[in-house]
Amino acid sequence: MDYPIWDLAMGGGVLIGLMSVTHVWVSHFAVGGGLAIALVETLAVRRQDPALRNLAKRSSLMLILVSTVFGAISGVGIWVTIGLVNPAATSMLIHNFVWGWAAEWGFFILEVATALLYYATWDKVRPRTHLLIIWLYAFAAYMSLVIIQGIISFMLTPGRWIETHSFWDGIFNPTYLPGLVMRTGICLLLAGAYMIFAALREPDGAARARMVRLMAGFQVVGGLVAYGGYRWWEGALPEAVRAVFLGDSPQVAVLGASRGRVLWSLAGFMVLAVFAWLLPRVQRWPVALVALLAAFSFFGAAERVREGARKPFVIRDFMFSNGILISEIADLNQRGILSKATWAARESDGSPVSMGRAVYRAECQACHTVDGYLSMRKLVEGPDADTLGLILEVLHDQGEGYTSGQYTERGHVATQNLDYPHMPPLVGTAEEIEALKAYLVSLQPAQTVEAAHAR
Amino acid sequence: MPANLIPALDPAALPGPPWLFHVLWVLTFLIHLVFVNMVVGGSLLAALVGRTRPGARETQTFFVEVNGWAISFAITFGIAPLLFMQVLFGRFFYTATILLAWAWLGMLGILTLGYYLNYVAKFRLKAGKGAQGVLMVVALCFLTIAGIQVAINVLHLQPGRWESVAQQAWAALSDPTFVPRTLHFVLASVAMAGAVLAFVATRRAATSEDRQACEGMARFGIKAAFVATALQLVDGFWLLLALPQEVLRAFMRGGAATMVPLTAGILFGVFLLVVLSQITDPLTQTKKVRRIAEVFVATMVFMVLTRHQLRGIYLAPWRSDEQIAVATQWGPLAFFLVVFVLCVGLTIYAIVRAVKDRPGPGEAAA
Repeated sequence: MDYPIWDLAMGGGVLIGLMSVTHVWVSHFAVGGGLAIALVETLAVRRQDPALRNLAKRSSLMLILVSTVFGAISGVGIWVTIGLVNPAATSMLIHNFVWGWAAEWGFFILEVATALLYYATWDKVRPRTHLLIIWLYAFAAYMSLVIIQGIISFMLTPGRWIETHSFWDGIFNPTYLPGLVMRTGICLLLAGAYMIFAALREPDGAARARMVRLMAGFQVVGGLVAYGGYRWWEGALPEAVRAVFLGDSPQVAVLGASRGRVLWSLAGFMVLAVFAWLLPRVQRWPVALVALLAAFSFFGAAERVREGARKPFVIRDFMFSNGILISEIADLNQRGILSKATWAARESDGSPVSMGRAVYRAECQACHTVDGYLSMRKLVEGPDADTLGLILEVLHDQGEGYTSGQYTERGHVATQNLDYPHMPPLVGTAEEIEALKAYLVSLQPAQTVEAAHAR
Repeated sequence: MPANLIPALDPAALPGPPWLFHVLWVLTFLIHLVFVNMVVGGSLLAALVGRTRPGARETQTFFVEVNGWAISFAITFGIAPLLFMQVLFGRFFYTATILLAWAWLGMLGILTLGYYLNYVAKFRLKAGKGAQGVLMVVALCFLTIAGIQVAINVLHLQPGRWESVAQQAWAALSDPTFVPRTLHFVLASVAMAGAVLAFVATRRAATSEDRQACEGMARFGIKAAFVATALQLVDGFWLLLALPQEVLRAFMRGGAATMVPLTAGILFGVFLLVVLSQITDPLTQTKKVRRIAEVFVATMVFMVLTRHQLRGIYLAPWRSDEQIAVATQWGPLAFFLVVFVLCVGLTIYAIVRAVKDRPGPGEAAA
């Protein structure tokens, strides 16, 4: 929050979401594809099956282009984006998990080197060496997932880390294993969903049907594992997180809808996968394409739910999405938010509206924009000034709820008991909150027209 | 600029001793730089070699082949220094990247474009088609990335300029060191790529039937390395003199610790120029061609050390009140070291086995 603020009409969260979803579609294929290609080539060598060999060969170029090029760049892209949108959280994660990231980087070196070697050594080395290379790739790619899953799941369920601040408590948090199982299933189903296209290019009908069935097998097994992992993951979530997107009236309705998309997309995918497995001869690329889109929809929605369920935190029970720590609420209520948000404060000329705008930029802009995504202008156009003041007062009082521990249940902040469960508390002095109210009122249509006339 | 625009130190303790992060940072950056130099210099030389020069097509083919994996490794080895740098200087680095957010984010798009276009060039050359236009765009992509990287690096060192860049992002390019620093980096890249090209050409000449093409490649490589190194000596002094006075003075007052690496770097640079000027027939002077690579690596090591020291000097006044807490995570650190050694070992094993393992007569290949 004491960093400069990047003005982005689409909202930083949306950009992170776009970047992350694109990356995971690719990176999970890079993991599952490695396992699938390793298995296919192993079978090809054992059975002396040239069709299977061709399938592995055809898929390997895609693995290179997808894994070492797009996967690597979009992976760095997530890092770049979160650093721009939420530098405090990025810094915090790096300070706590730098050795985990560094270990993942070690596996990434092996992954990239073996991917390039694998593609370059077709027709050049003995089969055993070639198999060794692809199995090393599969091992490295999976291990990088094993590590990164710890950091991703930590942000939603830090578990005992909140008390111990121990690296291992952070990595092996309550949703680590369920999430890993779900991601393993996704890797397998994505491998089957991508590679079935390579299988469909096989000219020999019997061989094509055999390979389509094999890839459909990956889809079915992957889908079942992913479903099991997803349900386990939901069960492992604290009640406060579940309330965000589960139940008859989830706190964030759009996340409830995303959760529905998770299950329906997976169900649709499974129907198509079973169909391809039972009737491989009639499988055609348009059906495979629909299955791939269903897989994307399932995975994209699952990521959306996981990211969104952290509200109002970026690191659950520790740091809010605007970078404020629970531990600094009381201090900032005393000193004022603008004593910390110096980049936002420098834009204020001291008038209430400009000070309020600075408070808005410091506390609200991590999620809201003025006129774009989660538009603040639209949100404030209904209530009158007094009502707005009351809302801000309630949001401010919520801060005390966090610090006093009155909403803490079994180590978690029971956000479901708050009036605004997915909003961070409003932090700052009375003067700052009054200024924020003045700024929000200035965004209301009548005020905007008046201001325009005055100009 | 009010000093309070510098974000507060991260409240978490450093998970290891600072010296270890510095060592890992410099080491991994050095490896990253080898690949980056190859990519930037190789792309430029592939674009500039023309069509009529003997060995021109082979030169282009060589560089697009190398870039196919060098870009991947440049990215892979770029992750580690970025990681270690953020542990130590994250608050300066994040601020600079946010002030130039669109450029920093746009760099990823340019990188993706350059990478895929390199594959386009590769497949076009393989099909016997021309790739001059594509190669020009690839070179432009990587030059732009170099410019963005230098702009952000220079900006994170100078909190005093943040305010003006926050008002107008283009002000990031107005730093007197921006042009010589970018040139310094690009010229080093060209010199290294040229030297590698010459080295590979001399090796190929021993077995290749097309000796003329090999000679063309080698001569072009040596010429490019020579011109780039000669210009580098001029640019190096320009860069040195463009440094802010207080930084230059502090650097000079650093004694042997700062002056030895800089002097060694300059001397190795001069020596490199001398060796390059002595090569009149690269295919017969293979030892000298190999010597270039050795001298280049030595120059690079000293220059990377100097660069790192300069960063410390630039930031020293802004970090004078830093109270860094250290709580080493011994278990995770050991885990990283074990994984790193294991993965590097397995990578080397896989490469050696892939190079050595060739099917015998009548034996099936994978």
